[in-house]
Amino acid sequence: MAALTAGEVVARIKSHLGFAWRENTYRDTFKFGGPDTEVKGIATTMFCSMGAIEQAAAAGLNMIIPHEDTYWNDRDDLSVVDADPLYRTKVELMTKHQIVIFRMHDHMHAQRPDFTWVGLTRVLGLTSDQETAPQSHRFTIPETTLEALASDFKKRLGDKAIRVVGDPRAKVRRVQVGVGYATPSVASPDIDVVVSGEQQEADGALDSPEYVLDATSLGIAKGWIMLGHNVSEEQGMLEMAQWVKSFTPEVPVQLIRSGEPFWAPK
Amino acid sequence: MKRVSRREFVTVAGIGAAAAPFVLRAPKLHAAAPTAQEIVDRIKQRVGVAWKPETVDGFKAGDPSTPVTGIVTTAMATMSVLQEAVKQRANLVITFEPTYYSKADSPTPPAGRRGGGPGTPPPEAPADPVFTAKREFIAKNNLVVWRFNDHWRARTPNPLVQGLSASLGLASSTAADAGQRFDVHATTLDALVIDVKKKLGSRGGMRIVGDPHLRVQRVGLLPGSTPIQDTLKLLPTVDCVIAGEVREWESVEYARDLVTAGQPKSLIAIGRIVSEDPGMRVCADWLGTIVPEVKSHWVTVGDPYWRPL
Repeated sequence: MAALTAGEVVARIKSHLGFAWRENTYRDTFKFGGPDTEVKGIATTMFCSMGAIEQAAAAGLNMIIPHEDTYWNDRDDLSVVDADPLYRTKVELMTKHQIVIFRMHDHMHAQRPDFTWVGLTRVLGLTSDQETAPQSHRFTIPETTLEALASDFKKRLGDKAIRVVGDPRAKVRRVQVGVGYATPSVASPDIDVVVSGEQQEADGALDSPEYVLDATSLGIAKGWIMLGHNVSEEQGMLEMAQWVKSFTPEVPVQLIRSGEPFWAPK
Repeated sequence: MKRVSRREFVTVAGIGAAAAPFVLRAPKLHAAAPTAQEIVDRIKQRVGVAWKPETVDGFKAGDPSTPVTGIVTTAMATMSVLQEAVKQRANLVITFEPTYYSKADSPTPPAGRRGGGPGTPPPEAPADPVFTAKREFIAKNNLVVWRFNDHWRARTPNPLVQGLSASLGLASSTAADAGQRFDVHATTLDALVIDVKKKLGSRGGMRIVGDPHLRVQRVGLLPGSTPIQDTLKLLPTVDCVIAGEVREWESVEYARDLVTAGQPKSLIAIGRIVSEDPGMRVCADWLGTIVPEVKSHWVTVGDPYWRPL
């Protein structure tokens, strides 16, 4: 039997997506290695960190499918980083382990369902019967306090550096889930809490931290829970691994967690 | 606007009847109160940065012709900061970040995304209780809000770095170079984190990358929101970068990879607002020198974040 190549894996990803590949994507491309690289095993990961690369190599997996960038900028523009010695170190690590990297970001979010939401809501314990409509990512849960909700989310995710804005005692039950940097606005009258990954604090399209601080001053129940970018989207890379495994039966496929990058002070 | 009576002025200034000379001078000071527009004009003349044609800096609320009774500077004009300004009888609020929750700083919420159909404009957003309450509070108290961001952070030396280093007790360092690097007494990363948390009054917004036992002697400051290019420049030259807001797919992953590669490096993210706040104390001090006839006070926003158990 002919060896499985990275190009063949990508061809199968494209044919199983259920919609046409967007050729204009700058994100979902090979970041290291290429289509001819022989694939011994596949790792999905959130961030293509050096730690994730080492873990994948140790598990005998040389094709990595990360959700995010490899070279510390979204476009993986090498001109931003190639003067830095760490870029050379990372390239040497990948060369040593004959790594091939193909990013899955835009097409992962365009898939239905979008695995990032599937994975996050699975771990948060939010169920489809609580969702207001399929794919609304909006859940009505039994009334609780912002503090109890955030504490529960923290435990379920093992999220050490979780951050919350709002009155801890605010009574909440309508939860809007976001992932990564796609954080929904907290200003909608239909929601009490937004839980998501990462968002700029100010000077954006709607600055939720300031909005929640002011709502709190006014006695309006609002909360904003930031899980961190890695924690919010990493969960769905398990679903991604399962999906890729379904059409690459000849090699092992598994989730390698890049894990939360932060620790928090006591 | 509400005119401040002489009796009120004396109370505000905290001067008893015994302090006759000050009382006698008070009405004259009041009569000479500059308007918000006059103060802004003076800022533009004195800031030392050519005024940009495209800028977020400008009046966001209130009447620029209002005579100013006092100035409050802040990183972000939250309701609680505005309430404190009113308490201090200051009616000009100078804010680094937006007042109405977006770069657009519009006093009404952004319009809904869903239009009525092709070619029709999006429907007007329904009234939002938070926007409405803030608008009404500002109007009721005759406040004037002016945003000062692009030109303030363009000054040399960078006032955000000045403010943050002073708050962290790094200002007197003799080894400061390039305005962003400071020596600290040799310590460990976890001890530095505890010190930073205390000095900045951080509640739950701090997040750290690096070995807690790392020896730290050289610290770099990146207040505000900064791109990967800034971290690439600064982190290789110091043991620890203390940053406001960096992108997690950029600087955070770069710092994590450095640590994995065995480099003795670390990153402390303190949050954007917390990092910018001390720079507005510098602003209040500076305003005291160019607008001496009006008192300028800094009001801190505090750390917006907390962390559950």
